[in-house]
Amino acid sequence: MTKIFTRDKFQHLVRVLNHPADTFYEIRHREKGSVPLALIIVFLFSLCYTCNRIFAGFIVNLTDPRSVNGLTDLQSIFLLYLLFCIGNWSITCLMEGEGRFKDIMTVTGYAFLPLIITYIPAILISNVLAANEEVFYVLIIGLGVAWTALLILTGIMTVHNYTLVKTIFTLILTLIAMFIIIFLVLLLFDMLNQVFTFFESIYNDLMLRG
Amino acid sequence: MKRFARLAALTAASAALLSCAVPALAAADVPYDSYTFNYREYIEFTPAPYVPAGTVSGQTLGITPFRNPQSFCVAPDGLIYVADTDNDRIVVVNQELTGAVAVIETFDNGGTPDTFRKPYGVTVSEKNLLYVADTENKRIVVLDGDRAVRIIADPKSEILPAEYEFSPLKVAVDYADRVYVVARNMFQGIMVFTADGEFLSFFGTIPVSVSLWQRIWRSLSTKEQRKLQQLFIPTEFTGVDVDDAGFVYASCIDPQGTQAAFRLNPKGVDVIRKGENNNVGGDVFFLPAVAGEFDGPSKIVDILYRGKGIYSMLDSKRGRVFTYDYEGNLLYIFGGMGTQAGTFKAPCALASTGDKLLVLDSGRLEIMIFTETEYGSLINTAVGLRQDGDEGLAVDLWRQVLTLNENLELANIGIGKAYLTEGNNKEAMKHLKLGMNRTYYSIAFKRYRNNILKANLGYILTGVIVAALALYVRSLVRQKGTEKGDLLADD
Repeated sequence: MTKIFTRDKFQHLVRVLNHPADTFYEIRHREKGSVPLALIIVFLFSLCYTCNRIFAGFIVNLTDPRSVNGLTDLQSIFLLYLLFCIGNWSITCLMEGEGRFKDIMTVTGYAFLPLIITYIPAILISNVLAANEEVFYVLIIGLGVAWTALLILTGIMTVHNYTLVKTIFTLILTLIAMFIIIFLVLLLFDMLNQVFTFFESIYNDLMLRG
Repeated sequence: MKRFARLAALTAASAALLSCAVPALAAADVPYDSYTFNYREYIEFTPAPYVPAGTVSGQTLGITPFRNPQSFCVAPDGLIYVADTDNDRIVVVNQELTGAVAVIETFDNGGTPDTFRKPYGVTVSEKNLLYVADTENKRIVVLDGDRAVRIIADPKSEILPAEYEFSPLKVAVDYADRVYVVARNMFQGIMVFTADGEFLSFFGTIPVSVSLWQRIWRSLSTKEQRKLQQLFIPTEFTGVDVDDAGFVYASCIDPQGTQAAFRLNPKGVDVIRKGENNNVGGDVFFLPAVAGEFDGPSKIVDILYRGKGIYSMLDSKRGRVFTYDYEGNLLYIFGGMGTQAGTFKAPCALASTGDKLLVLDSGRLEIMIFTETEYGSLINTAVGLRQDGDEGLAVDLWRQVLTLNENLELANIGIGKAYLTEGNNKEAMKHLKLGMNRTYYSIAFKRYRNNILKANLGYILTGVIVAALALYVRSLVRQKGTEKGDLLADD
């Protein structure tokens, strides 16, 4: 049983920020990544996301506090994360991607690190901002989003050993795959529901008439 | 999706309200809900701003009952003129609403006696002339006492179709005796007549909104199909009133439920202010109009300018009276349909006299009287003071309003603004945040923040200098250290 949280793995997580391509390569080929660590990062991101919706300053925060539910946020973020990973895996499997499912999960999870790092100062700063100064808040959040997007792009590119164009192409296909998965899942649930109601009505018929 | 979420929240809120606030509501003892919409467009129940205070019918006035009365107005001298439509008469009621002063059934039209046929609208000008929209006779009769001084009929203009039949429904007169007429089947706007009764122009046409989807659908259909599709015609105006400055307030039935009130400047351009929610259409939240008569946007049938920028609108669908201030903030909503005293069957017109609000009900054949409560009166006075620029004087009133209804954002904003001018930024921030007014909150916050910065500038600058020095010293020490290390390494 290998240790999950080694010092080495933490160091590689932090190294993602300044040497993304190298680190992602090491994650893929030298087992320097950790899925549990990636899951923790996604969890922290969901926490920051919820915090931002609750604690961001009055001037920038248009969210109705009554509509914020941390658990719902957590669920939906994890669902989206898993959906992306599964979608990407199913596409890259067919397109000569070298990454394993574990690598995709690690890389995508690690990519959320900049967003966590930018959300915290953004929340703090938003509380000392007046109108016309919201641009700082927007800028910081925008920086985090761009950084994360860049990391996802680099990560997917590196673990699958793709060119940039092919990465972008597979990412678009991933989106489509995600929609197909959602569609199929909904279809499945609907069918199951119909089957269930069918048997239920047979049961009711027998009980009431017999 | 958002709508359903809101509905769920609403149900939850009303459940919570029912469990804890029943005694409070029962104490108010009115047969309708009073509420307002807050910043987030949630319904917030409020104390009743107006309470029913009796009704006036033909019987109580000592005359034969009303038949389908459609409109009424209050003259400058306080007399109330009721257009008793199906009785072909105008009833003049005294100020106390206790008896009929006169019943105008015939009048002297240039020497010959004349009568009305289904008069729908009635108004009294500043010069105390009575204007009657004599609908079935296709004319407007201007009466001085019981003598017709002018008859406005058969408008001629090249912008009117040749076979146009003039059937006026509602009428209003401004300080220059210009006559504003809402006519049946006239989609081009309000008809304006000069003091001499000459047709001048149309006024305030409501723009037609055609959605992209409708446009695409229309371009795809054939000519025959297009003929059978519904026409895109503007909605008609339903009510008209003139304010002190000569601006015309008009109401219409808005299918979207976002703008039912118009404030038209002398050029006929709409200059109404729509407030924080960008809505002057009655109910902000309603169920889509599929389930029945009670759903869908409010059906505004009359508008009444009440002075100090305050105006009220009457909804004939759910029987509500909506009141807005000059800035388009929703002040209060009250009223409801029903058969109890104080509820409506077919409300059709609004008027006010003194602190009373009068609603004419063509179904109950009565004028319903509503008197303002402490809550309503406080809001009316405070808004009036603010309109006059005496916001400082309004603060005490807003404070009293807050003791009656802690949730009223308007009151919090009023207090917050007063604190802001006073220089008490912290209190201002608190109240403006409760009032959800970001613009003024930001001003208060900026001042508060800058004061703190100014007061502590010495410490902050000292801190920065000390930190810079420390960094400098550290780098010096490090450099020395490495030099030493290098030397050692060399050895």
